[in-house]
Amino acid sequence: MNKNRVALERQKKAMAVASERAIRRVTTAGLLLAITLLLVFTSIGMFPVPTPAGHATIAHIPAIIGGILEGPLVGLLVGMGFGFASFARATIPMFKDPLVAIVPRLFIGVTSSLVYLAVRRAKKPVLTVLLAILLGFMLLFSWQMASTILWLGIIWAVLSAAGAGFLFWWMHREDVQVVALGIAAVVGSLTNTVLVLSSAVLRGYIPKEAAWGIGLTHGVPEVIASGVITVAVVTALRQIGSRRRRARL
Amino acid sequence: MAGFEGLRYASLGQYIPLDSPVHRADPRTKLLGLGLLVIAVALAKTYSVNLLLLVAIIALVKWARLSLRALLESVRPAWPFILALSAMQLVFYSGPDAMAHVFWAWGPLRISAASLRVVVVSLLRFADLVFLTGLLLNTTTASALTYGLERLLAPLDALGLPGHELSMVGAIALRFIPILGEAMETIIQAQASRGARVQARSRWQFLQNARHVASLIVPLFVEAYRRAEEMGLAMQARCYRGGRGRTHLVLYRLTKGDYAALGASLLLFGGILFSQYIAHWP
Repeated sequence: MNKNRVALERQKKAMAVASERAIRRVTTAGLLLAITLLLVFTSIGMFPVPTPAGHATIAHIPAIIGGILEGPLVGLLVGMGFGFASFARATIPMFKDPLVAIVPRLFIGVTSSLVYLAVRRAKKPVLTVLLAILLGFMLLFSWQMASTILWLGIIWAVLSAAGAGFLFWWMHREDVQVVALGIAAVVGSLTNTVLVLSSAVLRGYIPKEAAWGIGLTHGVPEVIASGVITVAVVTALRQIGSRRRRARL
Repeated sequence: MAGFEGLRYASLGQYIPLDSPVHRADPRTKLLGLGLLVIAVALAKTYSVNLLLLVAIIALVKWARLSLRALLESVRPAWPFILALSAMQLVFYSGPDAMAHVFWAWGPLRISAASLRVVVVSLLRFADLVFLTGLLLNTTTASALTYGLERLLAPLDALGLPGHELSMVGAIALRFIPILGEAMETIIQAQASRGARVQARSRWQFLQNARHVASLIVPLFVEAYRRAEEMGLAMQARCYRGGRGRTHLVLYRLTKGDYAALGASLLLFGGILFSQYIAHWP
């Protein structure tokens, strides 16, 4: 009898914890979505970069952070919100197409969440191998690109080699957890760039060559920004990482 | 300092309180009907079908007593960009049918019947979608929108998916935009008073720019997380347990007019599909 009661109490407690987590997930997703909308509908979400378009977006970062901190479902939701917002706000025909503006954005939070779950507990050797594979993919990609436009492919290859070199160097200086965060953020940002541009090409809004160029001029600054900002935000929230343990901002 | 202010007024969907049949319609009707039209616009690929849609949508905008000019005005800053993009599309188009009916060619540049059609159709499509989003957001309040969304997502609950939670997330987000906007203003002022450079640097220093944005965004995220936790606690203290058995203060009823509107949008949607894929209108 007593045993049963103890079991019942334990179950009740577990249920309370579960509902607490569910509520927290709802409120967190709501606030991340609010930040996304704020970033899309005001000019804070843009920062100047040296490209023809002049601005790169950071409005996809809440989706990445939601995916990393609260799991793929929250990432999906916030990404969906980003898609709808950029669809509603769109000022160029390309983003007034739901297949370009909304569908690719669903995957931002999901991929970064899955990548983070996969590499979170990884040790340095594993991360090194993963980085090497990623670099291999990027080089393959730039080879593909070089077959269309030679110089663009060369730039892309140099950039990805530089990026991988930086990540190696960083991995030896910083906590592994921080590097895992950075990788997840980079993957999330690349998901956005690659999927949006390929669906734009498939739907015939921009020619293939222009997509390579936009990928270079927008994708790269966005990847860098989302890496910097995601790592800063998540380490601030989780109190992890940074051997130096001091604010750098 | 003027740039700091005004963030709190950032709002999605500027609801325009007018009295029209579209304003009075049930939010569910509007979401479903306009959603169907958005899909129809995305599918329409030829001149005649797009023109038909444009006429129908303009009639709807007029019926809602909204101003066409005001809706188009909202995208005015983007016109040079749109024109440049259209011009590029016109001469660089490289679809499967790019070689047929070439009007003009010079080196790699080529204007063909297909590229002309792509440009005209995407401009028409753009106008359609500007009108449709305006139509939804200008005639529906945020609370009506969340209500409609929740009711439409209700079937998900039966499948075990969190339909109620989804609309809750949307409602929270809409409520918190002005609050977070205000928080953002405070953060910008606080960082400026500590000597942070608030104006962005030249675009070549984009690493510094990213870091500058980070100095504003990181505190914003921390603030948002604090608020999310507080609100979770408050909801728990008020015995929030998800959507089961929850009731609403205002209940909307679908009227005959709503069913007629839904029927009409379904008819239009079917007509578009038919004329596009079966009758092959030009």
